[in-house]
Amino acid sequence: MAVTNKADDRDDGRRGIERELKRGSLELIVLHLLAPGEAYGYEIVDKLTAETDGNLGVTDGTLYPVLYRLERAGFVEVRWETPARGVPRKYYRLTDAGRNELAVLTREWTTFADAMARLLGQPPKPQEN
Amino acid sequence: MTTSDDYINRVLSFLPRATPMRAQIAVELRGHIEERVAHGQSVDNVLRQLGDPALLAESYLSAVPLEPASFPARARAKLLDIALVVAIAAPPAALSWFVVPGEWFPFVILAVGAAGSVGFCVYTVLAEYWTGQTFGKRVFGLQVVRESGAPIGLGQAIVRLLPVTLQIYWIDVLFALFTDKRQRAFEMLSKTRVVRASGAQPAVHV
Repeated sequence: MAVTNKADDRDDGRRGIERELKRGSLELIVLHLLAPGEAYGYEIVDKLTAETDGNLGVTDGTLYPVLYRLERAGFVEVRWETPARGVPRKYYRLTDAGRNELAVLTREWTTFADAMARLLGQPPKPQEN
Repeated sequence: MTTSDDYINRVLSFLPRATPMRAQIAVELRGHIEERVAHGQSVDNVLRQLGDPALLAESYLSAVPLEPASFPARARAKLLDIALVVAIAAPPAALSWFVVPGEWFPFVILAVGAAGSVGFCVYTVLAEYWTGQTFGKRVFGLQVVRESGAPIGLGQAIVRLLPVTLQIYWIDVLFALFTDKRQRAFEMLSKTRVVRASGAQPAVHV
């Protein structure tokens, strides 16, 4: 008979929820990080880590397909720049459609977070105007 | 070839040639790896963070919608492929009328027919495996891909052709009329699809 470690099962479940939440919010995260101005892939990863004190991280293998998806959807536009070291760097910037999408996703996320807070018995945060 | 070049080539091998911005994906990944290494990370660590090449390619492909090929387009492509084989086999068959003794002529026709059938099967398997397209599919802008959009494997190409060799092709084809992705039964079995090619270039198996 297999012996299962209930603590390990609980850890796997928590990691699963965290993973799914991150996966569903990645586009919102990336659009938000691009809102102040253009950035390239490596910069975006560093910004996310810095602005969340390391609590939110995204692997490089996850970020680039998200950026690709956003570009194909027309939410970001790109420009290439070749720095002194010679390898071209791809910069991303929000389009108007991207800013609209960011506003929509932010609204949806806020609604979801407020609903979860009510469900879990915590008061929702006041709206920032 | 460096480790990072090998990694990037492996990612590209899972991306059909028709994948939009395919070359840019390679340049961006190369730039990212170099940037990480310049900041003190080992190449192995950087590649580990990028993850399995097949999974990374699938993530990119998830952003490229796959449009099922219409039944009429597939039928036209298949008829063109058959016409091509007949066009190749017909001259030797016609020539044999003048060369071969009369009593041997039916056997020669049977042999030419058998050779043409085998040739059609081998051609179809290899063309779909190597490029994702037969001549007919290339003309009508179709290509064969995995469910994810990646190039198909040799085993998948063979399974796709089994209904022809088992002489159940017409039953197999009927499934394409009723499935959401317009797949034949053996396409569902082989986890492949025929879709509209997204670019001028066919999918190529590297």
